[in-house]
Amino acid sequence: MTAPTTSLSEVQQAALIRKLTALADDEIILAQRGGEWTGQAPILEEDIALANIAQDELGHAGLYLELRRALDGTDADTLAFTRSADEYTSARFVELPKGDWAFTMLRQYLYDAYEALWLDAARKSTYGPLAEVASKAFREERFHLQHTALWVERLALGTPESMKRTQDALNALWPYVGQLFQPVAGETELVDAGLLPDLNAVKTRWEGLIVPHLTVQCGLVLPPAGAEQPGRDTHTEDLAPLLLEMQRVAREHPDVLVW
Amino acid sequence: MTQPQPDPQSDTQWPRWEVFKQDSEKRPYQAVGSVHAGDPDHALLTARNVFVRRPAAVSLWAVREDHILSATPEEVVSHPDVLDTPGEAGAYHIGVKKSHKRSMTFVDLIATVKAGGPGDALRQAQAQHPDALTWVVFADVAIARTDDDAETVESWFAPARDKTYKQQQYYGVIGKHVGELKREGRMPRRTTQEPHVAGHKVYDHPHDQTSEMLRQRAAEVEVKP
Repeated sequence: MTAPTTSLSEVQQAALIRKLTALADDEIILAQRGGEWTGQAPILEEDIALANIAQDELGHAGLYLELRRALDGTDADTLAFTRSADEYTSARFVELPKGDWAFTMLRQYLYDAYEALWLDAARKSTYGPLAEVASKAFREERFHLQHTALWVERLALGTPESMKRTQDALNALWPYVGQLFQPVAGETELVDAGLLPDLNAVKTRWEGLIVPHLTVQCGLVLPPAGAEQPGRDTHTEDLAPLLLEMQRVAREHPDVLVW
Repeated sequence: MTQPQPDPQSDTQWPRWEVFKQDSEKRPYQAVGSVHAGDPDHALLTARNVFVRRPAAVSLWAVREDHILSATPEEVVSHPDVLDTPGEAGAYHIGVKKSHKRSMTFVDLIATVKAGGPGDALRQAQAQHPDALTWVVFADVAIARTDDDAETVESWFAPARDKTYKQQQYYGVIGKHVGELKREGRMPRRTTQEPHVAGHKVYDHPHDQTSEMLRQRAAEVEVKP
């Protein structure tokens, strides 16, 4: 870490831990959904590509949880593999089952665009360790975004069947995506202090990027905005089965020393 | 002459693209493998995922298979008309394979020539490198290439430098690697016989072995983590 760590108040530190955990949880759950395609993607090359993307997202989760460890000493593996659905703080957007290829690519696209823009802003964080992590992850995220943007376009402009599936995916995802831009408790204070990006500003840039792409370029119809979403303590019923599978090995072998 | 003519009725595969990777500005582009993709942009994106997640690279080219003409010396003898293959005049890239040593099919792109067509380019390749095991030519206009702006290099290629990369022979080699045998002076320089250790055939690459042999051998070898 290059810059000296900004001195944080107790309240700020608690909020930052909450935020880092929420960021990591989204990455972990989405990576698990991406990993579910391994061996099953439509073609070998995309199987490899999606596994790469999922692994990168998991890597970002590791970066966020390392930042958390520096604050409270918690262990990344313990957080990932022992918390229950009630303790996870993932957004419902990433919990939804993987669906078909159009759903997977569109969700990843919407998420990549959000994450790339959030990271872009976070590179200027006054909290040095976060700025450093953001610079690193931003590069990968920009490449993910190119890949998934291409897929959304090819599917939307492909056959009537692929167009229908992509529109269906957009209709299903749109009500959930707003949750990515909901601040966690105490986040506003960290934004004011320059530690975290302003989510409203990120959302404005995000909409400026994805709305023209989805509508003008891809010919998709944007559904009406969904109702206000509950917070990150409310989960879909899909999260618990996902964790059951993801945490199975770790739970069956709690005394393992080395993975 | 690798010019397969897919049957449009039965072939549901996307076109195949040969991928050429440049490790650094000072190195030639090398053939590293192929991807199936629907269009040039898609070919480059999948090529980056398949071939540049780990090892370093600065640039990728993808060339659709039907834009590539290749021939071995034997094929030129049996089908000399390959040297008259017609096509557009222009700049052509020449690649040669000079060795069977590696299990990977390295073809280095070593020259760019002006040619009247692919056949003419192949003829020039043959004249320049009569000792090559295979000649490969394709027109410069057939190449889909990654951008070389800083942003692309940063997001496509820079992350790989920070990731742990192990050469493929690090993984799962059962028995001894041929490099080890060479260093011990137990690997004949020229031979028609496959190298053996204690009665077992030694391969350059684990994938060269059949799965049945791998299973048999796995039972005999202590695997260290």
